[in-house]
Amino acid sequence: MTTPLLETRGVWQRFGGLIANSDVSISVGRGEIVGLIGPNGAGKSTLFNLIAGVLPPTQGSIIFDGEDVTALPAAERCQRGIGRTFQVVKSFETMTVIDNVIVGALVRTTVMRDARRKAHEVLEFCGLGRRANVLASDLVPSEKRRLEVARALATEPKLLLLDEVLTGLTPVEAKTGVELVRKVRDTGVTVLMVEHVMEIVMPLVDRAIVLDLGKVLVEGKPADVVRDPKVITAYLGDRHAVGA
Amino acid sequence: MDTSFAGRRRRDLVVAFCLAAIAAVVPLFVKDVYVQNIMVLTLMYGALSQSWNILSGYCGQISLGHALYFGIGAYTTALLFTKFGVLPWFGMLGGGIISAIIAMALGYPCFRLRGHYFVIATIVIAEIGLLLFHNWDWAGAALGIDIPVRGDSWLKFQFTRSKLPYFYFALALACVAWFVTWWLEDSKWGYWWRAVKDNPDAAESLGVVVFNSKMGAAAVSAFLVAVGGSFYAQFVSYIDPESVMGFQFSLLMALPAVLGGIGTLWGPLLGAIILIPLTELTRSFIGGSGRGVDLIVYGGLIIAISLARPQGLVGLFSPKRKEVAR
Repeated sequence: MTTPLLETRGVWQRFGGLIANSDVSISVGRGEIVGLIGPNGAGKSTLFNLIAGVLPPTQGSIIFDGEDVTALPAAERCQRGIGRTFQVVKSFETMTVIDNVIVGALVRTTVMRDARRKAHEVLEFCGLGRRANVLASDLVPSEKRRLEVARALATEPKLLLLDEVLTGLTPVEAKTGVELVRKVRDTGVTVLMVEHVMEIVMPLVDRAIVLDLGKVLVEGKPADVVRDPKVITAYLGDRHAVGA
Repeated sequence: MDTSFAGRRRRDLVVAFCLAAIAAVVPLFVKDVYVQNIMVLTLMYGALSQSWNILSGYCGQISLGHALYFGIGAYTTALLFTKFGVLPWFGMLGGGIISAIIAMALGYPCFRLRGHYFVIATIVIAEIGLLLFHNWDWAGAALGIDIPVRGDSWLKFQFTRSKLPYFYFALALACVAWFVTWWLEDSKWGYWWRAVKDNPDAAESLGVVVFNSKMGAAAVSAFLVAVGGSFYAQFVSYIDPESVMGFQFSLLMALPAVLGGIGTLWGPLLGAIILIPLTELTRSFIGGSGRGVDLIVYGGLIIAISLARPQGLVGLFSPKRKEVAR
């Protein structure tokens, strides 16, 4: 069996007295779409930031593509093949859509013509081709989400971390988003996505990992996970656990 | 009209070439020394502001301490020439390199600061530089340095009979600063800088090494400003700490870019063409006692600009961009 693309080994993150992640060990295989779910405050975003390299874990290690990347800063992890989006979109507002994407493409090439071509390809792929020359600040929210994905894809990641890209979209927008994630996976990119809208993610992911109170609660096939009494308790409270 | 990206870049280059060519023949018709003097200063501040714009406009690290690099350029040239007889051309290069190194040494701690804290740090550091030169006896302390005149020559870069050589050098400097900006704008650095300005966290996640980007911008910016300082020392042939490192130089580098359009290719030159003649004229009409009136003019312009057109005057020249109603 091949090694997993991403592994976290006994990762802890403390913020003063608050324990955001305690002893989290997960693994993501190549070509998978894995959903990271859990109620608010479960530690999903913290775990994401640890994997992306925004902050170092208090304890534990992060293995990416067979190498320990725990000590590497975010930019270096991007160069190694970890791409990410932000829950609160962080577009480069004074730059055009195409320029936003070029920033990402420049990780792989320093030839501007190649970077520009790559950026155009990625924008077409994400359905933003016609908006290429618009300022990022003029995009509507759903387009900004897609721009986040496009920018990350331009860095040619092996692993794409999607932080709530489908949350807060209209049903139609969410459906296009789901199709985009599938298309991304079909190009060979592994996807780890944080979501808490269960009905959107569950049909999409191959496997779901449920975090609660900073710990891994359950992991497995989406269909099994949603029926798991522990998950129902975590989301809805004790009263609903038995009657399911 | 070719509206593609490459087409626009080519057009910028052609326009710049035409403007430079026109500027080059102007002093052949305008013989008035006073006006020529204003033209030299306009080109010089245009070049300085263009250089300032690289760090503060493109990379978004607002510096109000660039007088330090201007002064270092001026002092390096003047000291090397008066103490060791080194030609100003080498002084120019040396001053540029020293400034770039100092900019990076200062950037190392300061680039960890964000927003206003960074601006305050740049002001304070430039003031420290000013005080050091005030008290440095070997460098003439508060009395400054008188650069001895050794006859008109390009080799010694001294001209007493005509201002024309200074004009052409200032024009060349403005062209170089513009061209460097033009070239960097469509390079990895240019994109990295703008990304760092807009959102450093997102930039980092896309593989941009934010810290190194800022260091690179600071070095290029400081180098070019120091070359401007070297030129100024030769041009006025007498320098003291206040006259090359005073806070007003930091402002005079920032204001043209802010007026014309911060973080734009044409903004600094456009701003300088409006601001510098206006300053010089107010100064001469109101007379020496009017010191401060030019500052009122700046203040008024900046207030008008920030109210009416915060993106700078350069936006007036691109009718293509539609105003988006909100």
